[in-house]
Amino acid sequence: MPEGSEPLLEVHDLVVRYGAATALDGVDLAVGRAEMVALVGPNGAGKTTLLDTVSGLVAPAAGRIELRGRLAQVPEGRRLFPEMTVEDNLRLGAWRVRDRRVGPVYELFPHLVELRRRKAGSLSCGEQQMVAVGRALMGQPDLLAVDELSLGLAPQIVDTLAEHLQDLNRRSGMAILLVEQNARLALDICSRAYVIEAGRIALTGPSEQLRNSPAVQAAYLGGAYEA
Amino acid sequence: MTLFLQYLAAGIASGSTFALVATGFVVIYRVTGVINFAQGVFAVLGGFLAYSLLQAGVAHGLAESLAVLITAAIGLVVGLVALGRRGTPPLASLIVTLGLAIFSYAVVITTWGDHPISYEGLSGLLAIGGVSMQRQYVLIVGAAVVTFLALALLFGRTYLGMALTACSSDQRAARLMGIDVWRMGLLAFAVGGGLGGLAGVLLTPLQPVQFDSDVGIAVNGFAAAIFGGLVRPVTAFAGGLVLGVAEAMVAGYYRSSYETAIALAVMLALMLWQASRRAPSEE
Amino acid sequence: MIGPRARSRRVVVAVLAAATLALPPLLPPEWQSLYVFIGLYAIVTCGLSLLMGFAGQVSLGQAAFYAIGAYAAAIPAVRGAPPALGLLAGTVVAAAIAAAIGVPLLRLRGHYLAFGTLAFQLILLTFIAEAGDLTGGDIGLRGIPPLGLGGVQAVTPVEYAYVTWVAVAAVFLVTRNVVRSRPGRALRALATSESAAAAAGVPVAAYKVMVFALSAAYAGLAGAIYAFFLSYIAPGSFPILLSIQFLVMAAVGGLGAVWGSLVGAAVVTLVVQLLQEVGSLPGMPTQVPAVLSYAVYALVLIVVMLLLPSGIVPALTARAASRRRDDAASTEATLGDDARASRLSSVP
Ligand SMILES: Nc1ncnc2c1ncn2[C@@H]1O[C@H](COP(=O)(O)OP(=O)(O)OP(=O)(O)O)[C@@H](O)[C@H]1O
Ligand SMILES: [Mg+2]
Repeated sequence: MPEGSEPLLEVHDLVVRYGAATALDGVDLAVGRAEMVALVGPNGAGKTTLLDTVSGLVAPAAGRIELRGRLAQVPEGRRLFPEMTVEDNLRLGAWRVRDRRVGPVYELFPHLVELRRRKAGSLSCGEQQMVAVGRALMGQPDLLAVDELSLGLAPQIVDTLAEHLQDLNRRSGMAILLVEQNARLALDICSRAYVIEAGRIALTGPSEQLRNSPAVQAAYLGGAYEA
Repeated sequence: MTLFLQYLAAGIASGSTFALVATGFVVIYRVTGVINFAQGVFAVLGGFLAYSLLQAGVAHGLAESLAVLITAAIGLVVGLVALGRRGTPPLASLIVTLGLAIFSYAVVITTWGDHPISYEGLSGLLAIGGVSMQRQYVLIVGAAVVTFLALALLFGRTYLGMALTACSSDQRAARLMGIDVWRMGLLAFAVGGGLGGLAGVLLTPLQPVQFDSDVGIAVNGFAAAIFGGLVRPVTAFAGGLVLGVAEAMVAGYYRSSYETAIALAVMLALMLWQASRRAPSEE
Repeated sequence: MIGPRARSRRVVVAVLAAATLALPPLLPPEWQSLYVFIGLYAIVTCGLSLLMGFAGQVSLGQAAFYAIGAYAAAIPAVRGAPPALGLLAGTVVAAAIAAAIGVPLLRLRGHYLAFGTLAFQLILLTFIAEAGDLTGGDIGLRGIPPLGLGGVQAVTPVEYAYVTWVAVAAVFLVTRNVVRSRPGRALRALATSESAAAAAGVPVAAYKVMVFALSAAYAGLAGAIYAFFLSYIAPGSFPILLSIQFLVMAAVGGLGAVWGSLVGAAVVTLVVQLLQEVGSLPGMPTQVPAVLSYAVYALVLIVVMLLLPSGIVPALTARAASRRRDDAASTEATLGDDARASRLSSVP
């Protein structure tokens, strides 16, 4: 994390329980302004739980969350409102802010212009992910949390979307917290990463360093990393 | 033939009130996932409130409108209690609404006694194409259609309505947008209360209401609502009309004691037919 | 495997059973028939709880089977058939009708099924009211002979209390065995996920009909005892509100918890009774009993459901379990609520 600046998001010693089961057990995490951070880990590690807690959907049992800006989440599985048009989906993304103009999102994803009157449920997965990202952007976030960007998408589409995220980060300084099963992709586009396992942060550091760690290579990169 | 048309008119009129109650069920169920069994109570209270206001000398029209507004407020209170703390399961909420319905009996008996009441609606007949029908029927159908269109506009065209629809479509996603699902639920309960109240205000001149008339009204409304799977307002509205007409025909041509039973049997048969058309493996 | 806890539980059950049977003669007369009703309602609620908690199916028309049991017992009895056969008739006819209508009806799911059962009851009530020759119509059936076998007759409330509570014991025993049987465990899977159960090879449709019929059999048995006990039945004895009351008893006690049906039936019946007594004290205006019982009944219902949404018995047992867990810090911590509830409910 860049020295000196106050992080946008700080999570300290976070504990989350679902009934008797503990999903997060003392998690520390921080995202600086304009930073791109990856969060990787196996199924059921608690990645979605962490994002949901930060988004205020799940109440923590203990710990502290400090968010110094607006956060929007692109949820796992996209979760568009299928019966509504693309444009209505986008406009609902602006519920928290005054500005409901959808122009900027269409500039980012010109392909959505021709789909604006279509029902969101009738789109392809890739198109839906564009709408989901666009809908989150409508909330004018300082931090964009993306849960499983690549889930069920063709590789080219994932690449395009990843480029868009990098672009947003570079141009407008939007911080991004990227949850990914595809650790290779996440480590490629983010500068720093956390590895979460069974509700605990197992490893953290610059992407470069994690990429070269034998443990990460074995568990997440399917052997040695080829650049 | 004219007899048939008269039964049809009567059926469409009472069916319109079922449709209003059914729409109330649907609005509340869609947004909150709760089946509000106090839905019939709104109609009963609407009738009693309008009755009292009229007795107090408030003019027709104003009295009924005030009664509807008050039932909407009562709907809000019912929602407040029924939704309880966040995370109250829908079955618990459902039973709470049953409890509230029973509670209303105590309120109605204390305030108005346990005798049925009624008041004059629009009097006189209106002849349309050789069929003369009560003007109250025309008022009921007109009010129901206008209300339904207004609701369609609310849900389909306004930003608030979109947010309500979002809550019914995906609560988690709605919360991620920052929509307060709980407040939207309360709003839905208020709308449901108003719809029930309107049904009661319109129905009371045709058939007197008493404290426990809510069961019959709720059963008919629920039957119509379930016809649309509790989520499709248009089908629920149509279901209300079908039910009303079926009951009027049975009462007219056969025996009025069979009207509800046969109408329910028809609804049930339609539902079973729908269910058998779905592939059994499909959830 | 009989651990110390299971043994102590057996002792508790034995003591409870003895107390149950010793109690009726000691009760003041006006409480004796209340005691009968608690037992009858516990039987019906046990079936409903089984249906909802284990098979995941909702019934808003359970009083229909209570009515069927009552009429199936009373109709032959007033025509001279031996009354004891009525108990059998009530049970079997209710189960048979449930099995017959269950085949199409249980294709409906969730709220549709709730509506279907509600509609069934309303249709049945209309039929009973209209089939006057058979059922006595709206006026009802009078002069149902008392229950008896050979020379022994049950006449007093105390005697009916014995009949009823023996039936309660039988029903609980059957329920316990059903819950513990292989089909019972499969049923639990049904409540959690029907498609998963079907994928695991559970004959979902057949099991659902079986549980539906079993719950109807319980209601039918209770209805038959009811008919003999009151010696008078009419369509008005079985309103929709009674079905709702059964639902409330099941929910208050806790779904899927066998003991919950007893607790739910007792709590709700006692509350209603207490209110009626308070309301009919001398000097009260005539409307007070009704108003008071509606109001307080409603408030108890609302408060219990909002504070203990899973019902009284699961809430208590969960608390006990968590205390035990704190003591032992055992692996139970990883068990979900589901596992806990069903494990407890398998111990009647
Ligand atoms: N609503 C819930 N109720 C109970 N347990 C839950 C709930 N949501 C998640 N869990 C449990 O919490 C743990 C963490 O789940 P979470 O969804 O956060 O994992 P994840 O890392 O996002 O997994 P995935 O990669 O599969 O999306 C899992 O064991 C999961 O079963
Ligand atoms: Mg996840």
